[in-house]
Amino acid sequence: MSVLDKRFDDYYAKRKFYGGNTCCPGCGGPLFWRMAMDVFGPRTVVYGIGPCAGCTMRSIKLPSFNIHFSFVADGASGILAAFRAQGIDDITVISSAGDGGTADIGLGKISAAAERNENMIQICIDNEAYMNTGIQKSGLTPYGSWTTTTPLGKEAPKKDVPLILAAHHIPYVATVSVAYPQDLKKKLETAKSIKGFRYIHAVIPCPTGWRFDPSKSIEVTKLGVDTWLWPLYEINDGILKMNMKKEAKPVKEYLDTQQRFRVMKQENIEWLQKETDKRREELISLDGKKLFY
Amino acid sequence: MVQIRMMEGNEAAAYGAMLSRVQVVPAYPITPQTELISFIAQFITEGKMKAEYIKVEGEHTAMAAAIGASAAGARVFTASSSQGIVFMEEPLWMPPGMRLPINMCIVNRSIAPTGGLRPDHNDSLLQRDTGWIQLYCENSQEVMDTIIMGYKIAENKNIYLPVATCYDGYFVSATASRVEIPEQKDVDAFLPPYEHEWYSLIPGVNKERPARGSSAKNRYEVQQANERAKKVIEEVDEDFNETFGRSYDGMIEEYNCDNAEAVLMTMGSMTGTVRDVIDDLKKSGKKIGLLKLRCFRPFPTEELQKISKKYHIIGVVDRNTSTGSAGGGIVSLELARALYHLEDRPLIANFHVGLGGTDVTPRQIEYMAEKTLGILKTGKIPEPVDWVELKDLGPVM
Repeated sequence: MSVLDKRFDDYYAKRKFYGGNTCCPGCGGPLFWRMAMDVFGPRTVVYGIGPCAGCTMRSIKLPSFNIHFSFVADGASGILAAFRAQGIDDITVISSAGDGGTADIGLGKISAAAERNENMIQICIDNEAYMNTGIQKSGLTPYGSWTTTTPLGKEAPKKDVPLILAAHHIPYVATVSVAYPQDLKKKLETAKSIKGFRYIHAVIPCPTGWRFDPSKSIEVTKLGVDTWLWPLYEINDGILKMNMKKEAKPVKEYLDTQQRFRVMKQENIEWLQKETDKRREELISLDGKKLFY
Repeated sequence: MVQIRMMEGNEAAAYGAMLSRVQVVPAYPITPQTELISFIAQFITEGKMKAEYIKVEGEHTAMAAAIGASAAGARVFTASSSQGIVFMEEPLWMPPGMRLPINMCIVNRSIAPTGGLRPDHNDSLLQRDTGWIQLYCENSQEVMDTIIMGYKIAENKNIYLPVATCYDGYFVSATASRVEIPEQKDVDAFLPPYEHEWYSLIPGVNKERPARGSSAKNRYEVQQANERAKKVIEEVDEDFNETFGRSYDGMIEEYNCDNAEAVLMTMGSMTGTVRDVIDDLKKSGKKIGLLKLRCFRPFPTEELQKISKKYHIIGVVDRNTSTGSAGGGIVSLELARALYHLEDRPLIANFHVGLGGTDVTPRQIEYMAEKTLGILKTGKIPEPVDWVELKDLGPVM
C-alpha cells in the first residue's frame, strides 16, 4: 500500500462517508456530503436523494434511505414523528433533494414541511438541471442555459427557492457553495444548532451537464459566487446577512467557463448582467434587515 | 367492561386505530374518509389517544410519511378514498416491496369522471397488483375489528405486508350500527407492540433486511408473503374469536348456503341487504345462498376451489368495472382464473350494480338471484356481464 493509499484510507476511516463513489469526475455532490457529514456527526439520519440517483447517498455510513425523486421531505416527516412517538429527540434528521425535487415536483412538499416547521434540515443539492435523466431543464436551471429541453437556452430565470422558503417564516435559510467550504461548514453548524425547519441551498458543480473540464469544478463554482449569480447569504430568524464581498465580477467571466451558456446572445448576457446588478444592489441594501416576521 | 354503542363506520375505524395503539397517523382529508381522521385528531386532542398526527398536504405525502414512520419503528395508520388513493398510487407500491406493515383504511368511493362522491370498489381494486392485503368490511363492528386484526396479520414476521381495510363510503362510513368496543387491556393482550425485525433508522442499531436479489426474486417474495397470509388471516380470525367472541370466517363467509345450488358472491356493504333477500328467497324454496368475499388480496383461490364444488353456479356481484376486460368485473375475472383448472367447476354469472354508489336494492338482488338460478336451468350465459342498473326492474321496493 502506498503512502497516499494509506492516507486516503485513514482519512475515510474517521469519516461517516466512504471514499470512492460512482459520481462523475468533478461532481460537487460527494464533496458537499463529506463536509456535511463531518458537521452533522454520528447521531444523524439522512432521507432523500441528491444529486442524481443517490450515487453519493450510498456512501453515507449512517442510516439513510430514499424512495424516488418525487419524494421530498415527506418520509423525513414520518421518521421524525416515529422518533417523537418513541421518545427519541437527539437524532439530527436530514432531508435532501435535488433541484428538480426541490423546485419542481416536490416544491409543495417542502412548502408543507416548512409550514409544519418539521424539525429537519432540508438540503437542496442544486446542479441546475435534471442531470440524472440526462440534462433537462429544471426550475433551478439558470437563465440562458442550454439543456436538452432548452436547446436555445432557458427563457426564464432560476426560481428563488431560498426566499420562497424564507417567506414560510422558518428559523433558518442559507445559500452555500462548495467553493466556499468554511462558509458552508459554518452555516451547517448554525443549522444544526437550531430547532425547526432549516433550509440549506447548495449549488453543486456538474461538469457533465454544465459542459466544462472536471478539473475546473471549484474554479467555476467560485466564479458563480464572485459574479453574484449565486450570492451567499443566510436568513436567521428572518434577518438577512450577506456572507460575501460586495464587489462583483462580470457575469460573462462565469458564462465563458461553461459550454452550456454558448447559446446565449450578446443581448441575453447584457440582460443577465443588468438583472444581476439590480439583485446585488437590492441584497446589499437589505443586508442586516429583518425580511420576514 | 365492553361498551356497546351505535357508531358510524368512520368512528369505528378511529376506535380501531386508537385501540391498536397506533403511534403515527399521517393523513389528508377526503370525502367520505374525512370524519375518520377528524375523530382521530379529536381523540389525540382529548388525550384519549397517544399518537403523532402529521397534517400532510396531500395523499402522496401521507403514504410517504407513513413509509418513513414505519421504517423508523412506529405503528402507522392512514386512510383515504377515491382520488386520494389514485393520487397516492406512486408511494402505494413501496410498502409491499419494502415489507412495511402499514394499515390503511380505504373508505371506498368511485373515481371521477364516471363516479362521484358515493362508493364503488374501483379505488381499492385498482391497487390489487401492488401487494397490499385487502379486507372488505360490511358494517362498523367489522371495520373496528378488522383494523385490530389487520395489524396482527401485517406485523407477523412471516408476512410483513401492508393491509388495506376497505369499507364503503356512506353505506358503512356514515351509517350507524351496533358496535361492541373491546377493552384496551384485551386488545393489548391480543396485539403486542410493533417491532420490525429488519428495520431501524436509529444510528448504531444494526438491523438488516435479508438479502434481496433480482426484481423477480423480490416480487416472488412479496407473492409468497401473500400466500402465507392466507393461513395467518384465518388464524388471526380464530384468535380474535377466542379473545373477543366474534368471528368473520376468515377470508370467505358462506351464509345460508344449506342445500344451495347457486350462490351470489358479494363484497362490502351490499352484503347486509343480500343476506335479507337470500333469507326471503330461501323461505320461498329457492336454492340460493351467499358467499361474502372478505379478503380480495390475497385472493383465496384454494378455499374458493373447495367451496365451489358444492355449487353449480356462482353469481358474482361486481361493484366495479374493468372496462375493456376479457369480460366482466374484477372479482369475476379473478374467480374465473381461480376455478379454470377445476374439472368440475361451477358456471359464473356476472353482474354490475351499485356503480358510482347507487343503492343496491332488494329488487336488484332478487333479479340477480333469479337470473343466476335461470342460467343454471338453461346452462346458457346470455352475456359476459349484466349491467343490472340499466334494466328497468319496475318499482324499487
